[in-house]
Amino acid sequence: MLRKPLAFLKKDFITESSYNLNFLFNFAGILTSILGYFFINKLFGNRMVGHLEEFGVNYFSYVLLSMAFFGYVGVGLSSFSEHLRNEQVQGTLEAVLLTPTGISTILLSLSLWNLVLATVDMAVYILFAIFLFKINFSNVNIISTIVVFALTIISFSSLGILSACFIMVFKRGNPFGWLVASLEGLIGGVYFPITVLPGWVQLLAKFFPITHAIRAIELAVYRGYDLKQLSGEILSLLIFSAVLAPLSLAAFKHSIKRARREGSLIQY
Amino acid sequence: MEVKDVTKDFIPAFSFTELLKFNFKRASTTRAIDGLSFTLNKGSSLAILGPNGAGKTTLLKILSTLILPDKGSVKINGSYLDVQDEKIKASIGFAGAAERSFYWRLTGRQNLEFFSAMYGLDKAAASSRICALFKLFGVTYQDKRFDSYSAGMQQKFALMRALIHDPPILLLDEPTKSLDYASSLELRSFIKEVLVKKQRKTLVFTTHQMDEALGFADMLMILHYGRLFAYGTLEELRRKAGMPGGSLGEIFIRLAGGSVPC
Repeated sequence: MLRKPLAFLKKDFITESSYNLNFLFNFAGILTSILGYFFINKLFGNRMVGHLEEFGVNYFSYVLLSMAFFGYVGVGLSSFSEHLRNEQVQGTLEAVLLTPTGISTILLSLSLWNLVLATVDMAVYILFAIFLFKINFSNVNIISTIVVFALTIISFSSLGILSACFIMVFKRGNPFGWLVASLEGLIGGVYFPITVLPGWVQLLAKFFPITHAIRAIELAVYRGYDLKQLSGEILSLLIFSAVLAPLSLAAFKHSIKRARREGSLIQY
Repeated sequence: MEVKDVTKDFIPAFSFTELLKFNFKRASTTRAIDGLSFTLNKGSSLAILGPNGAGKTTLLKILSTLILPDKGSVKINGSYLDVQDEKIKASIGFAGAAERSFYWRLTGRQNLEFFSAMYGLDKAAASSRICALFKLFGVTYQDKRFDSYSAGMQQKFALMRALIHDPPILLLDEPTKSLDYASSLELRSFIKEVLVKKQRKTLVFTTHQMDEALGFADMLMILHYGRLFAYGTLEELRRKAGMPGGSLGEIFIRLAGGSVPC
């Protein structure tokens, strides 16, 4: 059962590791982005104290966790369309679709490597946070954190699969992916708590899974909230997952069928 | 293999420049396959001939499940297209004409290992199958990166991939297209002696070369403008063309040359 996803993982590892410098620059990129927020915090951190009271941390701790988390779950948002496009351009998508491999297996396998890389990135974020910036994670509620992670990954992956449908049908230009990725970051509370935003934008933000996910993860990690205390956020994420997961799979099956009807499966 | 009344039209996508001119009418459709029907017995080999744009590759892609027809039905190895696609995929091996469809940063062996997993072979079975295929095809440079292989070697790998799960049916799109003369003869002989005579695979292939068609096909099909102009053995085609003793080339010109349907 795992042979096909593992074959994808091995193939992607061999491919990516043949580009040696990629790994190195990735970690350097994480450190420079963290340092940027570290100094922003020094300059403006005090102005955010009121907005961060419920999380019980300073701006730097807040943004470091939300960026690490968003970087991880954001993989689900971009990796399906990215990998699908790569396979289309390489010409390998046709060969993969010729094999008796289910669509859901192909989709899962396409993003597996990015998920592994994101896990490594996340670990690097946490190591920097603990050892370099001395951030305290001792209050973390492990169960709540795992549940929030799982539900957010399902929601984001579903949005990512919907985004991949655009690539399958229109080849280039993915307005859905762009819209979701930009708005999620901007109004979902990744770079600042949403209480900074005007009231109507805060209301709009409630319709994005990331808003609930960021709030839940900050509270689970820094305040140790349990599942009951996070029930509102978890229910919202559950609803997003229950609606988006089947919808995205059905949409992707439909987009493949449409591409087969149009004969455009390998066009790019 | 049964193909009944299959029709395929291609609708061009909206052109952005036309949209800017507020022209929302789509360009007219192109009929790639027009009411095609034929039956091919198990173990037979069929050569599809036709000028460029005749619909040969489209037909092959329909048979391989990559393109869905607009009308008609296709039954392969007892399974219907668009209903039992997974079963059809498991029973066919497809090798396309343009071999861009490999992972170029992987070696030849790694590519075959990847696709054997996609066909559901376990590690041990894949390993022995790949080894057997390397022997069969006489491949000695098995661990070179794919982008460093010659066009002929890449074509061999495409054929090895099509055979990796030992399917009963092979679909080959111009199998000797990018090969030099010697490699082409070698591959033709391999297809004829091993795949057709020894392993009794059902073979469907497209070609522009008459000698290749006659070399290992017992059934011949002439397609033109997506229509079936002729289908049968060489003798049957001679009778249809009214050319007893005529060569396949002469029959092809007689049946498909110069006629433009209205």
